[in-house]
Amino acid sequence: MLFNSYPFILLFLPAVLAGYFCLGRRSNLAPVIWLALASLAFYAIGNWEFVALLLTSIAFNYGVGHLLIVAKLGAAQRKSALALGVVGDLLVLGIFKYAGFATENVDALLGTDFAIHVLLPVGISFYTFTQIAFLVDAWRGQVAAYALPPYALFVTYFPHLIAGPILHHKDMIPQFERQETKRPYAHLILCGIIIFAIGLFKKTCLADGIQPLVALAFEARSPSFDQAWLGALAYTFRLYFDFSGYSDMAIGISLMFGIFLPVNFNSPYKAISIVDFWRRWHMTLSQFLRDYLYITLGGNRRGRVLRYVNLMITMLLGGLWHGAAWTFVVWGALHGAYLCINHAFNALVPDVPAIFARPARIAGAVLTFIAVVVAWVFFRAESVSWALRVLCAMADPSNIVFGREEIAGLVLVVIYAALVWLAPNTQDIMGYDHGNRTVGETLREGRLRPLLLYAGSLVLAFGILGIQSHSEFIYFRF
Amino acid sequence: MHGPFTHLRRLLLASIACVLGAAALTYLVDPLQLFRASHLAAFYSDDTRVQNAGLIRSQSFDTAFMGTSLAIHFRQSDINRALGVHSLKLAMTGSNSRQQSFVLEQAIDRGARRVIWEMDDFIFVDAADIEADPYLSVDLYRRTAKGIASYLFSAAMAKESLFVLLRSIPPLRQPLTSAAPFLPVKFALSDVDVIYALPREFDLARDYNAKKALASFAYITNPVRSRFLGEGYGYDAMVRHFEQDALGLITRHPDVMFDIYFPPYSILQFVAMRDASPETLKIVTDVTAVIAERLAQVPNVRLHDFRAIKAVTHDLNNYGDVIHHSPVVDAMVLKWLASGEYRVDPNRPLASLERLKAQVEAYRVPQP
Repeated sequence: MLFNSYPFILLFLPAVLAGYFCLGRRSNLAPVIWLALASLAFYAIGNWEFVALLLTSIAFNYGVGHLLIVAKLGAAQRKSALALGVVGDLLVLGIFKYAGFATENVDALLGTDFAIHVLLPVGISFYTFTQIAFLVDAWRGQVAAYALPPYALFVTYFPHLIAGPILHHKDMIPQFERQETKRPYAHLILCGIIIFAIGLFKKTCLADGIQPLVALAFEARSPSFDQAWLGALAYTFRLYFDFSGYSDMAIGISLMFGIFLPVNFNSPYKAISIVDFWRRWHMTLSQFLRDYLYITLGGNRRGRVLRYVNLMITMLLGGLWHGAAWTFVVWGALHGAYLCINHAFNALVPDVPAIFARPARIAGAVLTFIAVVVAWVFFRAESVSWALRVLCAMADPSNIVFGREEIAGLVLVVIYAALVWLAPNTQDIMGYDHGNRTVGETLREGRLRPLLLYAGSLVLAFGILGIQSHSEFIYFRF
Repeated sequence: MHGPFTHLRRLLLASIACVLGAAALTYLVDPLQLFRASHLAAFYSDDTRVQNAGLIRSQSFDTAFMGTSLAIHFRQSDINRALGVHSLKLAMTGSNSRQQSFVLEQAIDRGARRVIWEMDDFIFVDAADIEADPYLSVDLYRRTAKGIASYLFSAAMAKESLFVLLRSIPPLRQPLTSAAPFLPVKFALSDVDVIYALPREFDLARDYNAKKALASFAYITNPVRSRFLGEGYGYDAMVRHFEQDALGLITRHPDVMFDIYFPPYSILQFVAMRDASPETLKIVTDVTAVIAERLAQVPNVRLHDFRAIKAVTHDLNNYGDVIHHSPVVDAMVLKWLASGEYRVDPNRPLASLERLKAQVEAYRVPQP
């Protein structure tokens, strides 16, 4: 089920909210179980064939977690239990996500024909990573014993289940256990609806609105210079509003239940360096890769060279996480290389004098954006050779069409660029502070209330009017 | 607690009011002219799968013109002049026989007594059933409650309606009408005749020339991509779709005259199949043989085969790739349709196909 669908907005969400708050009057546990069951139903509506896999994954990880937290094991046994859990998770992820890719490559190398077509369970990357983090923390002794219902809800919680953000048990489970979240809190519901509305508008009106332009570069056999740039920029903005819209909707929905989800997106195209970009784009994935992969590999503690090697490995795996294809590997490698260059630059070049700070920031932002656009070409293209064809067209200004369609496309791209760079982001508009669990303080105080309310209603209306029958999230299948 | 719940109610009610307001605006302006001819200046869109639903309702016509991207650049005025008809162009790029047959049926129900149909072999490949086709809203054409709701409760249509409304304000009319084709609005064309037509001043030599045709030939015959030549082609499915979609429509409407033509692809299209995918070439020739033989027996069909007109198909300067011909050839197609010069003889339905086969066999691709 999609957040941007009538059944979800008009039936599923109101019904789950009503059940949650009704049960919340009687007990603290029943709403948790209700929400976990609703999350399973949400998953089953679109992916019933993988519900058993999801439940098995929860049972397996909860069991291993129990061994690490409760059972009195020796150090070696604890290490073995962790290894069992992580290897088990990665094995399942590997089979479902990478078996087809691996056999394709073996076939290509050896000239064999062992085609394997495995359907990818939606959300498997998210719920697997979420649980790996839980196991590692349990092994590190950073997890208190959790009951099964809040743990199951933590994994299946429907606002995040199929496209993130990647949740952390320490952040979520205590919220699920709090009594206060089980009672309807009008302020949070109001703020949640407004944040959801902004996300819905981003998805249905902005991301889906620019989507047709993407074909100019990626579906044309030989795009011209302007078509290639317009298509690449259209995809850059489409992905931005698609992902940002989804993240907002997830936060908004969760807020209606009184639960604060982590911010996953913080105006990444305003980044002034690629390091800054990764602090703003898919922030929970960046944190996961940093805490559980980069640091585990040794991070920057083993000398400069190994730091760059670790960065490259982390980003290559981050690329593969997004999809089992060489285009994602190239995308990850490019970002790894960008990060290495960025760190080397910071180490070698002294700070610029204050007078040049602003121009340097602008130059950094422009360079970062262009680097990101180039990498997105690989992310979107069907194949590496197709991506190279688009990039060659982007580098050949001698072939320009600039007809009616391209001019209209340029106008659209300029509007989107203005929104990306000049408009405040959702957390700024709504004063969303995940750490302090506050939101909409200016709204509560009455300042800007009518303006925000009526602007919110307009945005919600157009978000709903923008719903199309065939519109998926790009991050759905990762 | 009371205050915030009041705000919540106010927000939701205001949203409902906005949704209804947008729907009312679309209903009143009716950019698609689905309910009535436009009170304001009428504008049209190149989005033919949607636009056709409105054209069938708002235009008067006696002839429907159908086809794929090979027929998309025709102008209705040229068709009318050459054939002495009052036509409505309904061609849709990349359309399949299910879509074409459905749209034609609607046009016939609205008064078309003649159909001119550019019949591409590719339209018969297997595709979604028309009722489940995500690219063509049958409900919009049928004007069911769902179709009308999808039209009225649409942000995109509300945006178009607002723009149409703005263009109707006298001081804004001229500048906005001139700017519309260069703005991200769908309903930008002020003349139904220019839907998907190339501008009169279009540089044909730049986009249609032997260099482009040969480059396209090299591209599709590259071993990496040549398997795509046969993608979707299957004899049984194609014949089945022909029987259901084309022949079914034709026999349901014996009072309508169908002028069907096989378009003049460049010879390179068939040569590409000959060299890189001979099994596909066999399917194409076998399927079109069935089509020709079956249509030859139907009294309300005139079949025209332009595939073996060497003077056109072997002159690669007529093409932008291996199949798409220039508007110069469009004019020739109309002339041939009017004269009946290349009409297939019902007694010898395969004669032109045999000529084509011989040409394909003999052709040698020019080397650079």
